[in-house]
Amino acid sequence: MSENIDVELEQEIATFYQSLGINQGPGDIQYRLMLKVLEKNDPGITEFADIREYTDQFADRGSIGSKMKTVFQLEGLVKKVKRGGYVITDKGLMAASFLKNTTVFYKKTKKMGEIIERMP
Amino acid sequence: MIMELFLNIIICFAITVSSFTFAFVLARNDQKYTKKSKPALWALITFWTLVGAAYLPTTIRMVAAYIDKPAIDTMMYNVSVIPFAFISVPLVFFITYVMVGKENISRSISFIFTIFGIIYLGFFYSSGAIGPIVMEWSSIFIVNSEIAIQIYLMGLFVFPTAMILGLLLLMFITRSIAISIHRTVLPLVAISFVFDFILTDFMTSIDTIQVVSRLFILVGTAQAFLAYFPQTVFIEKNSTKENDEFEYEIITDD
Repeated sequence: MSENIDVELEQEIATFYQSLGINQGPGDIQYRLMLKVLEKNDPGITEFADIREYTDQFADRGSIGSKMKTVFQLEGLVKKVKRGGYVITDKGLMAASFLKNTTVFYKKTKKMGEIIERMP
Repeated sequence: MIMELFLNIIICFAITVSSFTFAFVLARNDQKYTKKSKPALWALITFWTLVGAAYLPTTIRMVAAYIDKPAIDTMMYNVSVIPFAFISVPLVFFITYVMVGKENISRSISFIFTIFGIIYLGFFYSSGAIGPIVMEWSSIFIVNSEIAIQIYLMGLFVFPTAMILGLLLLMFITRSIAISIHRTVLPLVAISFVFDFILTDFMTSIDTIQVVSRLFILVGTAQAFLAYFPQTVFIEKNSTKENDEFEYEIITDD
């Protein structure tokens, strides 16, 4: 499960989805990184410090905590196990799997776009 | 007999003129294309020039057959085989460059096809061709070397055709982005059309098949021309002009 998170790539993908008018979920860099970290740490506990390692350049402390509460916890993607500590749920893993599909879609679209660009 | 052969001359001449014109127009408009697409563009220009170069001596050879000059017919056939042997080289460069995007890789792969072409010519000139056999519709030559035919079919024909089909398949599979059909798929279909029928033309021993192949080559050239320079009716049909004329309504709470 533990794969490296490419922050630049995630940012690139989020920008791509934003360009399609999708600003939440796949188009939100914070959402992407948080879900990636939660998935990476599964089945262990994810603390805010683990997430901030990746999100510091994009978000302040408050917005991460707020997103964890209003999106992840509210929708049942994570379960709070201790103060500042969360574990990903099955529903959260489903969301992580969807996120992977969005990465595949982005790469496929980008590749095809480059092919079209090279065609005179 | 005279009329059928004359029609063949006209078709060959039309192929020569249209492919040279197409190559010239593409070259003249090269500043319109992006830096990334220029290597593929020049490969395409070379391809159409070679098609023209293959059909210019073929036209002369048909005229020679028409006025009963077998020596000129044979000489022109031997000349037309040279561009024919190398026609797959720019095509392979075009496809590999579009797919991979690396110029040096495309150059290396197309160099392999150049060697195949040289080997084909070596076998062809050492064995010669049987002919000319002047028939109702055409003047036919039969390549006397089985190895030369096999090299052409396996080395120079199968791979480029498979590459074009692969690229087309990739475009159909990846329907995730809006692909401008007339700009991407149509040129590929046209190239494939022309390339396949050139092979049929040079390999067949039946005159009617040869004429029909040439007719399809002409259709393919016209198709490619329309793909790159779509006519006014097509542009109007596909333009966003209608959207520009759309007036936005301001919606208020009232």
